[in-house]
Amino acid sequence: MEVIDSYGMMEPRYYLAWATDEAIRARGANGGFVTALLVSALETQFIDLALVVKKKSVYEGVPVLTNDPEQVKESAGSLHGVPWNLAKLLLECAPDKRVGVPTKPCDARGIIELAKRRQIALDNVFLIGLNCGGTVHPLRMRELAAELYGLDPDTVQKEEITAGKLILRYEGEGGATQEKGLKIDELEQEGRGRRDACKSCTTKLPVMADLACGNWGVPKGEQKTFVEVLTDKGAAILENALNKGAITVEDATEQSIAVRAKIERAMQALAARWKDELDVLTDNSPSERLAFYTEQLQRCIHCGACKAVCPVCACDEDAKCLDLHDEQDAYAISLYNLLRILHLMDSCIHCGQCEEVCPVDIPLTLIQRRFSERMQAHLDYEPGMDVTETPPYQETKLRWSADAKTSESEGA
Amino acid sequence: MVDADWEPKILAFCCNWCSYAGADAAGLERRQIPATVRVIRVMCSGRIDPAFVLMGFLEGADAVLVTGCHIGDCHYVDANYKTRNRYEFLKVLVKELGLDPERLQLRWISASEGPIFADMVREVTEKVKKLGPSPFRSVWKS
Repeated sequence: MEVIDSYGMMEPRYYLAWATDEAIRARGANGGFVTALLVSALETQFIDLALVVKKKSVYEGVPVLTNDPEQVKESAGSLHGVPWNLAKLLLECAPDKRVGVPTKPCDARGIIELAKRRQIALDNVFLIGLNCGGTVHPLRMRELAAELYGLDPDTVQKEEITAGKLILRYEGEGGATQEKGLKIDELEQEGRGRRDACKSCTTKLPVMADLACGNWGVPKGEQKTFVEVLTDKGAAILENALNKGAITVEDATEQSIAVRAKIERAMQALAARWKDELDVLTDNSPSERLAFYTEQLQRCIHCGACKAVCPVCACDEDAKCLDLHDEQDAYAISLYNLLRILHLMDSCIHCGQCEEVCPVDIPLTLIQRRFSERMQAHLDYEPGMDVTETPPYQETKLRWSADAKTSESEGA
Repeated sequence: MVDADWEPKILAFCCNWCSYAGADAAGLERRQIPATVRVIRVMCSGRIDPAFVLMGFLEGADAVLVTGCHIGDCHYVDANYKTRNRYEFLKVLVKELGLDPERLQLRWISASEGPIFADMVREVTEKVKKLGPSPFRSVWKS
């Protein structure tokens, strides 16, 4: 087996690819490329494990860490009800195991941040990036089906998003399949639809992963996946599947590449609009900001859930934010919250996991974003994009130490 | 309206080797320093955890001064570089939180700079008097 040990970024290469196996092609989304890639990698023992999301219902999926190609085949197909980040689940698996993970951009960013903190051996993790327009909380989706579509949520067989519409296929009267679609824009204006973190997320393409896969740029009606090869690791796993004959590839046309870039730009523009709209603190005075933060964070019951799920937090139980916090302090904002804000300022990837698990619904996505965006702009640093890029303040220190060494030797 | 008798409470972290000695020098030279400053001596400005500064504000300090040796003069070689990096974070945090950025100051003061220490305390006291009490006093958890 070829051992890949570089994070080398290569010239991007663009392909259209699909599964050769007809069963996988029919079951998976967009030609079943990702499923075929993982199944062949498992079968040839190119990877030891795959971390996939298995469909539980139309609304919900569960993550499964498996070495069984059959399980991977069962996980085929796209799903929007996946509101969690996979990064921390990788900590469950031994660092010497080679793992293939289909990742949303925020999963990949979380994994890269954990790799920077020496929690994950990135050499052994294959990030199969997936384009992501956003995820929907399973409960919100059920509510949506019942209240706006007027359906019994359990009769819905399939959800899909095409041409700006959320389409639900359901079993109508007499057992015939019917479908109903509503415009996503209109749903979201009413506060329904995707999670807030997803609405305002501008990282739509997984350019930090090894492969970037998705249906943007695929000609209409074709069951194919647009694949961008981003690293040597990505090229290796693709080559492995090609050698096995599991996938068929063709070069992407200029037009496909342009269409994909256009869709990305459109999604980013929409996300930027949402970011402004969801930010209730724009144009607020300092005193109003302080009042907002205090009011919201005072509701905190200090359960520690936001820290436990945070995909970039690698501290254990003896973390400073837990250690210095005392339930008896009468502080306006607890040290737990302030220290978490402080520690995430240079590394928050805005995935919104904290808000997802918060039992008192503190708008943590917004709060963390307000602080971390300012700090990251100040440092001119974006976390989770490149494992070789450390936060700039660390470099300052290293650079200075190197200077000191030279001046010392000059003096001597 | 600010009470006319109100005097700000300023928390100053001073490092053992430079700024504490500087403060000491100011006293030896019989310089007048406003009685607004409370000095906490630490062995090095690099010992000042951002949590200390935050705690200072949460406990009701109207301003927090972080002081240490000049860059390159640190008794522990490079620890005040770390102080400087932490200050970058705190500056952004304090501003976004809604406190006036002037309430947090980082100053380098050497052991011989007694007058500079005295000037700094006077200057910050004046500034904070204009700004009024820390907003954390009014949002105190009841």
